[in-house]
Amino acid sequence: MASVTDRDTTGGGGDLRRRLDRLRDFVDDTTPAALATIAVITVSLLGAFVGFLLVSPLTVLPFGAFLLASGYGWLRHQEETALVLTLTTTVSTLFILGLIIVFIFVEAMPVVRYESTTVFGVTVPGLRMFLQANWDAVSPPIRYSMVPMIHGTLMVTVIATAVAAPLGVSAALFLSEIAPATVRELVKPGVEILAGIPSIVYGFIGFTVLSPWASDQFRVSGQGTYLFVGVVVGLMALPTVVSVAEDALSSVPESMKSGSLAVGTTDWQTMTSITLPAAFSGVSAAVLLGVGRAIGETMAATVMLRGVPRLTEPLVNAFYGQETLTSLIARNYGEADGLQMDALFAAGVILFVTVLVISIGAQYIEWRMRRKLGGEA
Amino acid sequence: MTHDSERLSDRVSRRKFLMTSGAVGAAGLAGCGGSSDGGSDGSSGDGSSDGGSSGGSSGDGSSDGSQAQQGDTETASGSGSNTSLLTAEGSSTVYPISNKGSSYWNSNAPPSDGEYWGSNSESTVPGWDEIQTDMLLADYFASQFGFEPTEQRSAPPFSTTVGLSHSGTGCQAVVDGLVDIGNSSGPITAELDWSEDKATSTVIDNVVGRDGQPVVVSQDVWDAGVEQLTGEQVRAIFQGDVENWNELDGVDYDQEIYAIGRAEGSGTDTSFRLNMLGSADAPMGGVDTRQGQNQQVAQLVSQNEGAIAYMALAFTSDSVIPIGIDFEGTLYEPDKDAENTIFDSAYPLNRDLHMYTLIEEDNPDGGGYDRREAAFLNMFLTSFGQQVFVEANNYIPLPTSDLEEMKGKLDAVKP
Repeated sequence: MASVTDRDTTGGGGDLRRRLDRLRDFVDDTTPAALATIAVITVSLLGAFVGFLLVSPLTVLPFGAFLLASGYGWLRHQEETALVLTLTTTVSTLFILGLIIVFIFVEAMPVVRYESTTVFGVTVPGLRMFLQANWDAVSPPIRYSMVPMIHGTLMVTVIATAVAAPLGVSAALFLSEIAPATVRELVKPGVEILAGIPSIVYGFIGFTVLSPWASDQFRVSGQGTYLFVGVVVGLMALPTVVSVAEDALSSVPESMKSGSLAVGTTDWQTMTSITLPAAFSGVSAAVLLGVGRAIGETMAATVMLRGVPRLTEPLVNAFYGQETLTSLIARNYGEADGLQMDALFAAGVILFVTVLVISIGAQYIEWRMRRKLGGEA
Repeated sequence: MTHDSERLSDRVSRRKFLMTSGAVGAAGLAGCGGSSDGGSDGSSGDGSSDGGSSGGSSGDGSSDGSQAQQGDTETASGSGSNTSLLTAEGSSTVYPISNKGSSYWNSNAPPSDGEYWGSNSESTVPGWDEIQTDMLLADYFASQFGFEPTEQRSAPPFSTTVGLSHSGTGCQAVVDGLVDIGNSSGPITAELDWSEDKATSTVIDNVVGRDGQPVVVSQDVWDAGVEQLTGEQVRAIFQGDVENWNELDGVDYDQEIYAIGRAEGSGTDTSFRLNMLGSADAPMGGVDTRQGQNQQVAQLVSQNEGAIAYMALAFTSDSVIPIGIDFEGTLYEPDKDAENTIFDSAYPLNRDLHMYTLIEEDNPDGGGYDRREAAFLNMFLTSFGQQVFVEANNYIPLPTSDLEEMKGKLDAVKP
């Protein structure tokens, strides 16, 4: 249904004309008083925004006018006002996102310029951040390489996914397909409560209990290992994965499962060959959400890691935990200034781009699966 | 399609709720912004109507001769009787001193208290001999700078509050006028990368105490007989030339060294590099972990083997043990009764603890203090303040000559 209307509206010029027509219809159908109210709301809100950007104390005037006009409009022309206000909220969400993106990119520029390097006679800004692996913000040569942090984030994410994905998907399968209804009703809210535990709690347990224990058991000098940060972050991502994957699995139509059972398969065969493939897009979205949480996890990593940006030796050595992109920012924002601060913004840009790619990837998988299987999940 | 439009209207009603609550929140924020504007106007005392009216009303109510005199000497209204909240912010190292002082100040204990102020049959506060007053704590110090005593406990002539952040943040906050006092464990020249001239013309450097930065080791290292190291050995450990305790001369303990440092560029880190490693940008390749707070360092030392760290004296304990350091033939011991101790000013890892105040035009004589700042800082420079706020927090009290010099600056602000 949705895809049909999508296809209808993808015509280029006709689309624009239709929108103009709709706008004209809207203006024709609306009373002048309502139009005036809408105009006042729009103009005063724009004024408030300009005042906000200029950090003017007078911002309160257009903002007050906006509130008054909205209040009046709500009482007298509710439908039109609601239309404008909902449109405003949508636009402002996008706008705030845009401002944030512009801000972190602008703030990261100086360090990108500082870390320029010349390859084959061409100066590439920021390239040295990814070619060398040494970070030193204080003693010369001062270098802000992102390689150790990217490595750290990758290690933590891979370990966390290895923990969260199999555990989460199998738990979801059990809850959705095998468990009796009473167990499901009890366990599912429990899992969702787990998702609400603040990450510092996990980090604190990791710092005081897990890390010293790991350092004793593995005879590591000092505490802080990617392995245990990954495990803790994986456990933190687990509730998200279970919850989303369970939703996906239980939304597979009963008719598909019954059909499969009717041709003589066992419950297990139905699960592996019908339910899981049909819900694959939802399950993979669940895992990707978990991965997103692992990449963005800050507190637990900051508390448990060592805070010295450096590659481990060899690279796959998970028994030493140095620094991730997020913990770098969390640990240094208070002391950093100048280029070091800009380097933290550069870490933020890398995180932003990574999460963007992952979420686009998730959407793409979902779209592919929906086209292929036509399932509802 | 009808189904879709139904859902749309459903969403609109949900959005309506979200939007309304958002608008209410924004209105609340706007209100907060407005009131905080007024507050900062008042505290910086730039002669705006806000500051004037609040200062004026409280001043009029309790007006007497001395208040009127102040009115004569000062054109800007309300800075003499400005009783707005005194704010301080900054380094976690200076925080124990500053915050304890603030707590004592706000409680405004009567002289009969004995534990916090004054004297009774059971106890007497340190340094009471020099004070001997029948006024309450904050009343006593504030009245020296022209404030009216309240004669009420828990109601000082003006209140104080201390925020906890970082040295650099504290310096920046006082320069920007966000707070009255900026606490810093490093000199402002290093924290904000200023020249000496700019620093002396912008802020007043009030040193309230010294911090010895002892080198500490974990229990197992102490038990293995490491009770002192030379400066050279500490340098070798933190620069990565030595990886195992048994590589050091005279140490027979096979355990990898776990060297703990502080956040890159923090006040503690900078002064350690400067005083121990030779320059503020000396490399520290041997550091295995860096932590932002003294508490975290102490925790790491106590729960790991082979650990060595440097940190503020106030956080040492039975399992975080300070060791002696031998600098070019002089052994500084962690023992108060030794000939040379890590509490001496001569110990190279000692550093001054600063409470910066901004030089402002509207301060009395265009100087570095308004009267609230001067009254509060003066408390720390008495023998009482040094013993209760500095020494009791394991910091090093200032020698008499430094105290006298600082008090001389404050006396200029007295009415």
